[in-house]
Amino acid sequence: MKFRLPDSIASPQDLNALLIEIQQYAKWFEHESIKKQINAKHPSESPTLSPSALEILRSHEANKALDQSSLESIIDTLEKYKKTSPSITVTLAAPPTGTVKNTLVAWCRKNIAPDVLVAFQFNATLLGGIVVRYGSHIFDLSFRRQILAARERFPEVLRNV
Amino acid sequence: MLNIFIMGILVSVAVRHAYAHFRPQQHEEAEKPHSHVQPQSAHLPPAVKERLLQASQSHFQAVLNRSAAELQQDLKSTAFHLNKQLEKLGTDIISDEMKRYHASLDQLRKQTETTMFSAQAEIAVHQTEIKAKLAKRQAELEAQMVQDIATEKQLLIKNIDTKLADAVASFLTETLQHNVDLGAQTAYLTSVLEEHKAEIIKGVNDEV
Repeated sequence: MKFRLPDSIASPQDLNALLIEIQQYAKWFEHESIKKQINAKHPSESPTLSPSALEILRSHEANKALDQSSLESIIDTLEKYKKTSPSITVTLAAPPTGTVKNTLVAWCRKNIAPDVLVAFQFNATLLGGIVVRYGSHIFDLSFRRQILAARERFPEVLRNV
Repeated sequence: MLNIFIMGILVSVAVRHAYAHFRPQQHEEAEKPHSHVQPQSAHLPPAVKERLLQASQSHFQAVLNRSAAELQQDLKSTAFHLNKQLEKLGTDIISDEMKRYHASLDQLRKQTETTMFSAQAEIAVHQTEIKAKLAKRQAELEAQMVQDIATEKQLLIKNIDTKLADAVASFLTETLQHNVDLGAQTAYLTSVLEEHKAEIIKGVNDEV
């Protein structure tokens, strides 16, 4: 089974949280299935799911009705994502808003890998721009880096003022 | 000196000759009258004898005085000539010595002048060499100094530029980090990512 991770599930922590939610839902679903089989009364309430989890379940439900095996399949897929998906870290000059996060994650999943996980950090000394780290590779595209790289031109610019 | 010695010998010989000449005459003259008078004195009266004796004494005295005067005159003349000769001899000797002295002085002066001229020529050559070396060394030092000053100037300018750049960079990083608006940067962020897309994808693929 293969499905696209929603852009709201950006980081490995988000994926973990989603996995736990789906597992809890699958557990509740199993209990409810057993209760139905034995015609038990007093069904319990389903666990509260996040919009991301709901989006995944609904998208799956659109093709095929949910059952225990499909939930297990979703959990397996998420486990697989957790183990195999590449993970990059993006550092910004301030804590990113949801819009910014979604934009950057969408860009990464479109251009780098569809299942890439993006963890966000912030560092105010960057001033602006972005620092992308993947494993041992660091791509520093921050304002601070550009200012420091261009600082030798400052005296020349000041002399021309 | 040799002439003085010869003169001394001549004077001594003359004195001895004069002495030997006059002393024996007095003796013989004293003896002769004595031998002649002795026999006559026996026949002559004492007064005559006395008068003769006085006459002969006075005569002898006169002769003696005259001889002494002549001798003195001769001695004076001899001494005068000797002095003259000695003076001439001394003058000649001194003149010769002075000539030799002047000749040797001239020779020494010429040698000294020659030596001085050669020394002066060597000194002039040496001075020229030293001046040339000095001028060359001075030019080298001046060139080195100009180069050192230029290097030092460039170093100082570089240091000032570095400090200025650090100051500007510090100022920018200190002032800009307080009001960061990521919302305004979103488009910029995606454009930067697009710009470095190939680089980032290559890095991720290398890591995988």
